[in-house]
Amino acid sequence: MTSPQPGPEAQSLSAIAISVDGLSAAYAGKTVLDNLTLEIRRGSSFALLGPNGAGKTTLLNILSTLRRPDGGSARVAGADVVRQQTEARRSLGVVFQDSSLDDRLTAWENLEFHGLVYGMAPKRRRERSAAVLALVELEDWRDEIVRSFSGGMRRRLEIARALLHEPQILFLDEPTAGLDAQTRVRIWRYLDELRRARDLTVLTTTHYIEEVEGADTICIIDHGKIIAQGSPEALKAQYGSRWLHLTPRDQAALEAIQAARPDAQPLGAHGLALPADDGAMTDAFLATFRDRLVEVRFQDPTLESVFLSLTGRQLRDRADDQHNADKAAGRRGGRR
Amino acid sequence: MKGGRNRWIQPAINLLITVALLTTLSFLPPDTSLSDRQKTGVLKLCVPPSYPPLVTGDPQQPGFDIELGGKVAAELGLRLAVNTLSSIGTDFNPRNWSLTRGQCDIIAGGVADTLQSRSFLQTIPTPIETGWVGVSKSGQLPAAGGSVVVLPGTSGLDRLKLSGWLRQQSRQVIPARSPQQFAETLASGRAAAGITERFLTAGMALPEGVTPFWLDEAQFPRFRMAFGLWKGDQTLKRAVAAALQRLEAAGDMAALEARYHIETIEEAP
Amino acid sequence: MNPIVMALRGLYGVWLREITRATRDRAQLIGGISRPLIWLLILGVGLNPYFRGEVYGEVRFVIPYTYLQFLFPAVIVLNIMYTSIQFAVSVIWDREFGFLREVLVSPMPRWLILLGKVLGGATVATLHGALVLILARFADVTLSLEQVALALLLMFILAFGLTSFGVILAARVRSFEGFGVFSNTVILPLYFTSSSIFPLDPALTRAQQAVTYPEWLVFLVQINPITYAVDALRGVLINFNQFAPAMGVGVIVAMAVVFFVVATIDFARQ
Repeated sequence: MTSPQPGPEAQSLSAIAISVDGLSAAYAGKTVLDNLTLEIRRGSSFALLGPNGAGKTTLLNILSTLRRPDGGSARVAGADVVRQQTEARRSLGVVFQDSSLDDRLTAWENLEFHGLVYGMAPKRRRERSAAVLALVELEDWRDEIVRSFSGGMRRRLEIARALLHEPQILFLDEPTAGLDAQTRVRIWRYLDELRRARDLTVLTTTHYIEEVEGADTICIIDHGKIIAQGSPEALKAQYGSRWLHLTPRDQAALEAIQAARPDAQPLGAHGLALPADDGAMTDAFLATFRDRLVEVRFQDPTLESVFLSLTGRQLRDRADDQHNADKAAGRRGGRR
Repeated sequence: MKGGRNRWIQPAINLLITVALLTTLSFLPPDTSLSDRQKTGVLKLCVPPSYPPLVTGDPQQPGFDIELGGKVAAELGLRLAVNTLSSIGTDFNPRNWSLTRGQCDIIAGGVADTLQSRSFLQTIPTPIETGWVGVSKSGQLPAAGGSVVVLPGTSGLDRLKLSGWLRQQSRQVIPARSPQQFAETLASGRAAAGITERFLTAGMALPEGVTPFWLDEAQFPRFRMAFGLWKGDQTLKRAVAAALQRLEAAGDMAALEARYHIETIEEAP
Repeated sequence: MNPIVMALRGLYGVWLREITRATRDRAQLIGGISRPLIWLLILGVGLNPYFRGEVYGEVRFVIPYTYLQFLFPAVIVLNIMYTSIQFAVSVIWDREFGFLREVLVSPMPRWLILLGKVLGGATVATLHGALVLILARFADVTLSLEQVALALLLMFILAFGLTSFGVILAARVRSFEGFGVFSNTVILPLYFTSSSIFPLDPALTRAQQAVTYPEWLVFLVQINPITYAVDALRGVLINFNQFAPAMGVGVIVAMAVVFFVVATIDFARQ
């Protein structure tokens, strides 16, 4: 066992923060991750996007050493997540999907606990705790018991806690769900600053497209496989379609349009959506049906439409389902 | 760091309240033994007819335990009633003394603070020691093979251990049934030495020139004499123990010891 | 940075959290106060007349102490048992409410996390046991400083073992709901068959014990490890042992070691 492993020091200087090589995982005989390979650059913001059961949470659990992979390997800040768990954990800050605060302790005590567990010296602990509390604007609540906190406050405190020990890599599992828009923006701005100043790498999983828009790289996974990866612009350019949203005047018009354009998708109760990438075809359609429409609108490519065209599924509608399912899975996982 | 310190104040207060509550409750009387005595105004002391110098039967000098009992009763504001019961000490098994709670509050005049006594009673030791003593002219036991007269007495010393030891030393044992027989055997010279309880020597007419001495303490530990109280009479026991402590502090105890010459075995009359 | 200092900080952090949580849990403190009061003040005083001598030499059980004194060390053990085994709730709580993951992704090794938790639980349980010591006056148990120190040491080792036992239970119990019932079905039988409230007559031989109590009950008492823990504390506090004095200490230490090792194995599997 003396094969020369590059130490975390040496690796942290390299450009790769996280590397995943042929990672496989199965749960109850079902494949969750299927030979997954990816690399995340140091200092980048990487977003994992995927529907229910895509394997995002499993991947995150493996990367944060909570679960062993069934095949392949993964390195976090140069440390193997199976063989060098302590080094891997030291370089990580994790914000879990469900609150993992102790709600019988105060905000300050939660931070104090985290600092102690990460072996921070008293002075640094105090300075960092004050700094991260200020970041999430919870200074006035430092001596309040966490049980009295709202969901958004808990979230902010958890993010503050994950940043306390100045990790190289931050995992955010559904990070800003339940936060108001202002706080969300502020936290992302701060994380971006940290990325620039300290080369912090941020790995996010989310359902919120707004959050992913700011990421350097988006990775869409489904059934444990990567189906697309790239910058938001590249993905939109490559997979996104322009759609024409329209509302026919009456039922007869609707049926006529459907007969003329079999690729029309129903949209709401009375609407239709047509692929509008082909300009000439769209012009011809509008010329024909102009008088029988109440409303017409062009929809530019969004990540949502990228997702839709890649998986054939909506993302947002499943958010609640997925949250509940993940929660149940988390409980089962925690018990074993 | 104001919050850092404050957070321990509330738990500290809770803990203080808890300790105060439990301490207060620990002063509750667990039984009625003392309050019953105070209602009747009498403290009943059971003694054998004679166990000098603890109980003498002499009205001028009634005995150490009886005078001490009187002082304790006075400390508690009670009148001492001495119950002389001839059954005490008649048999080595205290069961056959047939004492009851109705007759006695305190049993004295020959209760040693041994494990055996504590099986039946709770004991408050007085400063006086008892144990096996030898008596002989030479001040020591005869060599192996010599004869020893033994009077075991009744205060609860370990007689099995004594007989085992004597057998091991291959000394001839002549059992005595009474102090008279013990003294006669010694006087007649049939035994070179005798072994008995410390206080039994005080009441018997030992032959001229015979002196008592303690047996080896490592082998035969000495015990304090004690007041025996019934188990469960906690409040009375505490009151008596406290009274004894006050008497000790005031010097009454030492005065009594001097009066009955019982500081050392050699000074015993 | 020195890894040992860092590990000790982590250990202190986990320990401190348990202590802090315990100070916020008034229900637990009230339990810690009410149990000794019920068992010592009410049961002890209530049964005292039935155990005391009325006729010299006619005492059925020739234990050389009063019933309250006899009961006193057992009540300490009871308080420790409750607090230690209820500690499992804290473990289940961590698991169910996600806090466990916060610790599991930290650089602390799992056995150290568990050690900190168990030390914390054992400290709280020892404190609850020490609350009973305040009632020593009531039970007429006179204590010297050395006795108190030795008793606290034994209490802590016992609490450590029982807290580890609580962790083992927690790994096997699914929910809070079941645990309340479950803990009572574990604690009370263990307590009652530990010779805590009735003595096996020490003056008699083993054959005669079975005459006093049915053999099955004597057997239950003898295989119950808590019996020896109670006995060890009796040895220290009232100078009275029903079994060989070394036995009690041996059983307490063995429980601490075995249960902690099993709990570590359980915990590492999570």
